[in-house]
Amino acid sequence: MMKRKSLILSLITIFVMIALMPMSMIHADGHCEFAEEVITFGGIAPMSAPGAVAGGVAMDWAFGQAAADINADCGLEIDGVNYQIEVITGDSEGSPERGQAAAERLILENDAKGMVGVYHSAVGLATMGIMQENQIPTVFSEPWNDNVSANGIIEYDGAPPRIEDGVDYIFRVSPSSSMVGSVVTDWLIALGAEDVVLIVENTDYGQPAAADEQARLEAAGVSVEQLDVELGTEDFVPILSRIQARPQAPDAIRIVVTGETSFNLTQQMAELGIAPTEDTICVTNQIAFQSEQYWATVPDGNYCAFNRVGIIPSLFNDTAIELNAKYEEEFGDIIPSFGMASYDSVWLMADAMERAGSYTDADAIAAAIETADIALSQGRYYFTYGSHNPELPEGTPTYMWHQWPDPIVTVMQYFEQGQSALDAAVVYPEVYQTHGSAYIMPGTSP
Amino acid sequence: MIIHDTLFVLWLLLAGPLWAVVGLMVLPGVGREPEQENEGAAAITKLQIAGVISGFALGPLGVGLFYFEPKLIRRTTLAAGVLLAVFLSSQVLVRIVDPNLPSALWLILAGPLWAALAAYFIPRHYHDVDADDSNVLTAAALGGFAIGPLIFGLMWNYTPKVNRDWMITLGSLGAWQIYTLFAIQNPTNLCVQAPYQLTYLTQQTANGVVIGAIYSLMAVGLTLIYSVLGIISFAHGQLYMVGGYFSFYFLLHGARILSDLTGTEVVINPIWGIPVAGVIVFAMGALFERVFLKPMHDGLIERAAEYAILITFGFGFVVEYTTLAVAGPFPQRTDRFIEIRRFTFDRVHITEDLPFGPINIIGDRAFAMVIGIALIFALLWFLQRTWTGRALRATSQDKQAAAVAGISPTRMNTLAFGLGSMLAAMSGAALIPIFAWVPWVGAEMVGRSYVIVVLGGLGSVPGALFGGIIVGIVEALGAGCYPDPSRGAAYKEAFALVIFALVLLLKPTGLFGREEH
Repeated sequence: MMKRKSLILSLITIFVMIALMPMSMIHADGHCEFAEEVITFGGIAPMSAPGAVAGGVAMDWAFGQAAADINADCGLEIDGVNYQIEVITGDSEGSPERGQAAAERLILENDAKGMVGVYHSAVGLATMGIMQENQIPTVFSEPWNDNVSANGIIEYDGAPPRIEDGVDYIFRVSPSSSMVGSVVTDWLIALGAEDVVLIVENTDYGQPAAADEQARLEAAGVSVEQLDVELGTEDFVPILSRIQARPQAPDAIRIVVTGETSFNLTQQMAELGIAPTEDTICVTNQIAFQSEQYWATVPDGNYCAFNRVGIIPSLFNDTAIELNAKYEEEFGDIIPSFGMASYDSVWLMADAMERAGSYTDADAIAAAIETADIALSQGRYYFTYGSHNPELPEGTPTYMWHQWPDPIVTVMQYFEQGQSALDAAVVYPEVYQTHGSAYIMPGTSP
Repeated sequence: MIIHDTLFVLWLLLAGPLWAVVGLMVLPGVGREPEQENEGAAAITKLQIAGVISGFALGPLGVGLFYFEPKLIRRTTLAAGVLLAVFLSSQVLVRIVDPNLPSALWLILAGPLWAALAAYFIPRHYHDVDADDSNVLTAAALGGFAIGPLIFGLMWNYTPKVNRDWMITLGSLGAWQIYTLFAIQNPTNLCVQAPYQLTYLTQQTANGVVIGAIYSLMAVGLTLIYSVLGIISFAHGQLYMVGGYFSFYFLLHGARILSDLTGTEVVINPIWGIPVAGVIVFAMGALFERVFLKPMHDGLIERAAEYAILITFGFGFVVEYTTLAVAGPFPQRTDRFIEIRRFTFDRVHITEDLPFGPINIIGDRAFAMVIGIALIFALLWFLQRTWTGRALRATSQDKQAAAVAGISPTRMNTLAFGLGSMLAAMSGAALIPIFAWVPWVGAEMVGRSYVIVVLGGLGSVPGALFGGIIVGIVEALGAGCYPDPSRGAAYKEAFALVIFALVLLLKPTGLFGREEH
């Protein structure tokens, strides 16, 4: 009788426990127990044309991979409770207004507690006001325009500075245009270039970046001619014929154009025999690092150099190697820097929420990001200047505010047809040189 | 310099051509006396002339004077007005610095003002005297543009029948004047700078012809669909895109299968991808027409025009996003057609001081151009020489009459949509060895195709061919000659749109379009 009673009691207990489980908001997933509530991050990426869709797809994958890895690591632990995270990607289409709509939808409808991503500078500049107004901590992973971070402390184009009301919620882990431009221009100056043609996309990324590079080159006495092009253009032969008609070939042609537009431009330049040649250096966009895509679309692009943002393959840490392996398995190509930056952005945000002990206290999360010190796929993340250290020493560029100071920018060069980017030579800066040469002349080997 | 330019601008604002046009428009409408009204067309013309002279000479003052006091419109006042106009404009001109003088002179003695005046008056005069007014609007505008008031002397007095020679002569004269003025204003521009200008212009023209012929092939498909079905296919860009992808996957998998079968590495030339893509997309297009467009032609759809736009737009949307899902967003490209990277015509000396060349043409583009032109001629042969082609043409001209003659309009609709889609796909398959191919690659191309078909004349296959070449040349020369090198390429598409707007203005049926009677 007793046995029967205890059996019934046990069954009732089990039944009650099962019934109450949703109320306790805890459920088991493998070795971790998670709260029922899932913390939502908003990711912004160009998932359809005319944006750089290939870039958007890589970023979206990286968001998802980061969320999966964080959840596999028992998610976010806040006040002893583990929360799963999810990243919902909003499609910016590469356009400022679509990006704004996506940001608003993520914040207001999806209740995003933090924002990550953004590829195009125009989208970054257009959306950061929305994040600031709604007090959403944000880590941008790809827009390069200097003012994405500088806007926190300076007045730009009449826009009020973000920290006027107290807290600046915008951070960036990609380099600024000036950080990238300075490496390429220093390299060209070091090579003795005296006459450079800049071919520049007509966007919020291209124009300021080219202006910065032009100023640096001209300051060093280099003559610069700038030719603007629209993103999405396929046929560049008429404008390349202008270069061909010059009495003397330029020393270098620098392409400040992104996506498949840069592939078309580089290939047509090579087909016409303009660059790379013994007389003219070809410096194309960082998308050339995607070697599978590059060789598929620029078969004549051997000996082109390109700026590489992010850690160089020979310096990949364990996290980067593991992430790259997963990316290669998915897409058959090397992970781009913005893929790594997007992955790291999600981790950075999650880490800050944990240290802030809250996923809703935006001020505490922003303060935690400012004091971040975490090693991820691209290296150790920290922010030198922010409210924790507001005084920028004289001569320090204003874009260093809320800017990760250590993105590695290098100049790489292919020297074999069909070569993997992992084997391409790092030619500048000297400290990272892999083949002992600052430039590999077409037709030669290092 | 600034003062002189300001003076010229002030004159342009306070008198001159702008106010001449205002006077032309204002006076005939409101300033007529009852007795003048009875005089009919002659009185109106007199008022128009008064408006032009008073506006040109004194701007708002002159127009206002004749507006409130129409009795002052006499031969003496008009003659005084002409004298005043000449005096004031010459005073302005002599104070303008040298480089601007020819332009200013041209603006007064020829150019847009006289083009507008001639286009307004001369066709009316032809109508009044019951002369043959075919192409008179275009010829008058070109004539006014090229030779200013002289065109009135010619066409007003003799009302000649306008033929193609007139158009070519006047058009060439106008183009030469613009080139000369351009050369004066931009002496260092590559398009005018001796001794290489001929080489550069030939290079840019060759660039334009090559790419234009390729544009044409896609536009021909669009115009074929329009001429038979009477609709614009908004899926055309996506069918062009998917044609490239069909070729790509055929070459990729075909080569792999053949390699497996033969045990040696096989590479298939992309030329074989063109018919394959054409056949597949023909089937896609025909099926789509049967399922979604036939109900419209059967009268089952209430708002057929709107339906056609939406359904083709939707079809394109489905094709694009399905391709994105299947092929991914990463750019693709096939092997070359030919191994020759570029054709170079080396430098020769026409005279001792006049070198010509080198001219470079990318090998694959030249090959694609040949394919494009060959396919267009094949289509023309099919339309002209085969029973089915003639049936298609008959359907495009009169569906009911064609049906009476035993032609099934339903079948012709399906055939036309299939053929049009096939041409778009073949165009894509011809270009995938040339451009980086992504699922949204058709967006830029299709916009250009709409311009080409309207420019050439909706429904005209030769029109699409020449329209494409014209657009190609205009874009190449525009990008290559625009005075600010940094903006030339950025404005490339705008140059074609200017030509498009002018053709719509002067010849709304397009260059080869049929007049509706």
